[in-house]
Amino acid sequence: MAEISFPLPDLGEGLIEATVLEWLVSPGEQVERNQPLVEVETTKSAVELPSPQAGKVVRIYGGPGDKINVGEPLIEFEVPDNTAGIVGTVPKEEAPKRRVRLSAVLDED
Amino acid sequence: MSGRHTGEQHSHTVEGTDPQLYVGVHDPKDDAGLRPVLLLHGFSSSSKLNWEDTGWIAALTEAGRRVITVDLPGHGRSGAPEDRDSYSPSRIRADLLQIAFDAGARPLRDGDPASGLDVIGYSLGSRLAWEFGATQHELVHRLVLGGPNVADPLAEFDLVAAQRYLADGTPIADASTAGLLKMAQLLPSNNIFALLSLIEAIKDEPFDPAEAVPQMPVLLVAGEKDERAASMPELAALGAKAGAMVEQLILPARNHTNAVTSRAFKQGAISFLGV
Repeated sequence: MAEISFPLPDLGEGLIEATVLEWLVSPGEQVERNQPLVEVETTKSAVELPSPQAGKVVRIYGGPGDKINVGEPLIEFEVPDNTAGIVGTVPKEEAPKRRVRLSAVLDED
Repeated sequence: MSGRHTGEQHSHTVEGTDPQLYVGVHDPKDDAGLRPVLLLHGFSSSSKLNWEDTGWIAALTEAGRRVITVDLPGHGRSGAPEDRDSYSPSRIRADLLQIAFDAGARPLRDGDPASGLDVIGYSLGSRLAWEFGATQHELVHRLVLGGPNVADPLAEFDLVAAQRYLADGTPIADASTAGLLKMAQLLPSNNIFALLSLIEAIKDEPFDPAEAVPQMPVLLVAGEKDERAASMPELAALGAKAGAMVEQLILPARNHTNAVTSRAFKQGAISFLGV
């Protein structure tokens, strides 16, 4: 088993932090990729963050009302070692970057 | 994100002019066989901010619903026409009707769960949905109205003060006007002058919920801390008086800004519309 940690992604428009509204998953739970993980609120809007990863939730950071800075840990998953190859088609460090692009579509409008 | 997504600038002319509205149609992977759901976003928002980033489109398509999104004029990826008429609520409702039909919605038929159209609105979108339901009873099956309001904060907006502020920074005395303008300026994608045109057009046609009342079932939803939601029982009473079945859902600890992502809101809407 390997653990993968994901930080709060860049939410675009120069936002540096977000406040947790509600977690939709809890430690021990098995989640699918794209399953809604958490609702967070920035100074501009409220968003629901989908899971960048399938796996078992090991740890979540922050409860309702807590602020998390962009780049700080948000969630950790446990994944079987042998899925590393599948995950590895997108290099591990690249995964948060993908989220950046997804959430920055606003700027491309 | 599940489901196929197609988006286009809507180019079917209504009353001789092209509304330049950006329409998205999102098909579910497993179609539940129910009528499409039209989503109407709020002032200074967009389909992306109000419905996509908040997880609504994913939740609805996951539930087997076909989703139609429209960016209001001057918002999101829609055009920002010069003429004020393009922003009038009655003109927007006519455009919505054309868009719904173009996207495949058909008039309600007894015993056909795929006929008709469900509508979910938020804030200004709820005002438009209330009026759309009241005037399109042969098409609209059920309504879900989030962050609804009996009063019309946009009709009371101080346009002169806003224009003065934009011209030379003169502070705006009215707190509601200052707040709305600040919200509109937060997003670089907003066309501020188009938004002011929309406000001007709304002043000509302010929301009067008693003027036309929907008679189909309505679910009213608001955050417990949404000061606008205080008037929700008044809307419920209007609907009930007109013979509509009206339900109300209060979301604990949520306000007008953050009620929109709420799971309870989504689940409440999906089950209310899942008949």
